[in-house]
Amino acid sequence: MDFLFILPIFLPLLTAIFLFLNRKIFNELVTNFFTLNSALLSFAISFFAFVTFALDKFKPISITLYQWTRTPDITIGFTLDGLSGVMLLLVTGLSFVIQLFSTSYMEKDEKHSNYFVYFNFFVFSMLLLVMSSNFLVMFFGWELVGLSSYLLISFWSQKPAAAKAGNKAFVINRIGDFGFLIGLMIILNTFNTFDFHTVMQSSTNVSENTITTISLFLLLGAFGKSAQFPLFSWLPDAMEGPTPASALIHAATMVTAGVFMLVRISPMLQHSATASIVIISFGLLTALIAAFSAMNQYDIKKVLAYSTISQLGFMFIAIGAGAYVAAIFHLVTHAFFKALLFLGAGAVIHSMHHEQDMRKMGGLRKRMPITAGMMGIGTLAISGIPPLAGFWSKDEILASVFAKAGMANELVFSIMYYLFWALTLGAALLTAFYMGRHWLLIFEKDNGIDHSEVQEAPKAMTRPLILLGIFSIFIGFINTPFFHGLEKVLHETLENVEVTHLPEGIALVILAVLSIGAGFTGLIIAFLIFGFQLHKRINLGKFKLESPINLVKDLSSNVLYLNKFGNVFFVSGMKNFSRKVAVVVDGLIIDGSVNFISSAFGKTSKITSATQTGLVRNYVVYFGLFLILLISLFIFTPLVAQ
Amino acid sequence: MLEVTTDWYLTLAAILFSIGFFGMMIRKNALIMFMCIELMLNAVNLTFIAASKHFGQIDGQIAVFFVLVVAAAEVVVGLAIIVSIFRKQSSASVDVLNVSRG
Repeated sequence: MDFLFILPIFLPLLTAIFLFLNRKIFNELVTNFFTLNSALLSFAISFFAFVTFALDKFKPISITLYQWTRTPDITIGFTLDGLSGVMLLLVTGLSFVIQLFSTSYMEKDEKHSNYFVYFNFFVFSMLLLVMSSNFLVMFFGWELVGLSSYLLISFWSQKPAAAKAGNKAFVINRIGDFGFLIGLMIILNTFNTFDFHTVMQSSTNVSENTITTISLFLLLGAFGKSAQFPLFSWLPDAMEGPTPASALIHAATMVTAGVFMLVRISPMLQHSATASIVIISFGLLTALIAAFSAMNQYDIKKVLAYSTISQLGFMFIAIGAGAYVAAIFHLVTHAFFKALLFLGAGAVIHSMHHEQDMRKMGGLRKRMPITAGMMGIGTLAISGIPPLAGFWSKDEILASVFAKAGMANELVFSIMYYLFWALTLGAALLTAFYMGRHWLLIFEKDNGIDHSEVQEAPKAMTRPLILLGIFSIFIGFINTPFFHGLEKVLHETLENVEVTHLPEGIALVILAVLSIGAGFTGLIIAFLIFGFQLHKRINLGKFKLESPINLVKDLSSNVLYLNKFGNVFFVSGMKNFSRKVAVVVDGLIIDGSVNFISSAFGKTSKITSATQTGLVRNYVVYFGLFLILLISLFIFTPLVAQ
Repeated sequence: MLEVTTDWYLTLAAILFSIGFFGMMIRKNALIMFMCIELMLNAVNLTFIAASKHFGQIDGQIAVFFVLVVAAAEVVVGLAIIVSIFRKQSSASVDVLNVSRG
């Protein structure tokens, strides 16, 4: 019974294959029946396996399905420990909830069955990634996640934008995967095995430079998958996919893979100070850029996309600060409220007949009370308002960065970490602001558009919303300063890891108050601008506020022109470069040498073929000449023999 | 009285071979060329026999028999080809047959 946890990994794969084979026979009802029951069964088994595992004092269970080679030690194996257990529950649980929502959202879609095939395949890939006991299986999952996200993002491939977005996601992920692959090669070369446990244990015997190299390459992979700066631009474009699929990508699967992987290698990561600094600074940069970009988006889903990037930045900050538990904790809470927000957005889009522009919404609260209420909970949760889920995890991250500053042994580092803490607090404030704006623009602000025909989403949509809403309120209690639940679960996984602990006593309270203050300030500013219309009510006299505001708006809606920058420097530059290469290398060198060889043969054959006159007499002459040559050879060669 | 030595035979064979060879080069009638080939073959035969006589060994004369047999077979095939060429273009000139020109 110990190995029960293998079942939920392969159940989605079997479902995907089964649905694919019968896609022409099954109607929507039958497809829904199979996929929902499979997802529910998968979650039930996972839950049972996790409970068994918990009763066994969280002792990690490993299973090897197949030994590929012994030296180097490469196996196909899976493991259930605290980290993968949490992810197993999260992925299967959210997969069920989101599929329940999808049955209604994807109703009467032409490719209804295909959607569930891809969806199940996606879940399988993610489970393969999180449950693996070695880097190889993780890499399989890593690549399959990329593939299935491509299939889901470009699901409506008849739309050019969707096809393009799918390609973009795939290509940018490839850049990250390239780094991941190189990291894996160095790992195999250094440790002669892919097994997590062995690699982590022997990582103390390896020089810090090697660890840093490996970590930085793996980090590139994490940046790609988790959409961190500079590889984040695929995620907002990925909004072209069906909304529930976006919810899955953003909440439980895909983007969390990078964070998960970094926590998985944390015993190695802690030995590299460089890698930690890189992680925390890139995470912070991402959190700030994405939060800033989210401020002036008008697409209901794009705001959430940038918000996801920003929240992932928070998780990276936590990892960089050595607070691995906080990173996973924020991953879990974020999964719930982001799934809630996305599904809520999906419900709004559904009721608005596929309208995604928030300027055409407004005042929907009275028409869709349940959705508005649940999305309100999600907004409060992500803003870090206690006692909702987001508060506990975000506060833990902020406090950890603060604690890290106190632990630093040099003044420079200490100041740097205090600065990081302040900026993270700023990102949290921005989060509250843009999420408040998001909610107010959709549900509150009156745009003078008549929405009397808009109706509340069907029950199959609101029920998952309510479920996720409840979780978004209470999931934060799994790891509070009073009850370290998650920390206990992850204890075995992070056994030899030096986790940054929270400050205690009055410091923690002050930090919490500051973080709550940031959340409330952001929400209040959002309300003053978008709810109360403050800027129209007060007269600033001569002071012109318009131009700086417009500059900020412009920068924000263009993502600080980073996409254009990337386009000019990387895409156009690469295009010009490859055109030059096409002319010089391909045209002159390769084509030139091939043409030279063929023309040389042509010219010489022209010359030699002139001797072939077709006249027998001439051949006789050649014959005679060679005869004379032969005879003279006989005559003039001195006799060596005898 | 002049004594007929092996040199005489060899000289005669060389003259016959040269006649045949130059005939091959300058004539374009297929029949004449054929005769020239025969002349060259027989010049070689004469050389074989002269050498055989000179060294008192029979090997050369045996070779001549082989040459004669092969020449007879060759004449059969060659004449048949010449006849079919003649039928096709009502001339036995080989200069017209330059299809294998490079």
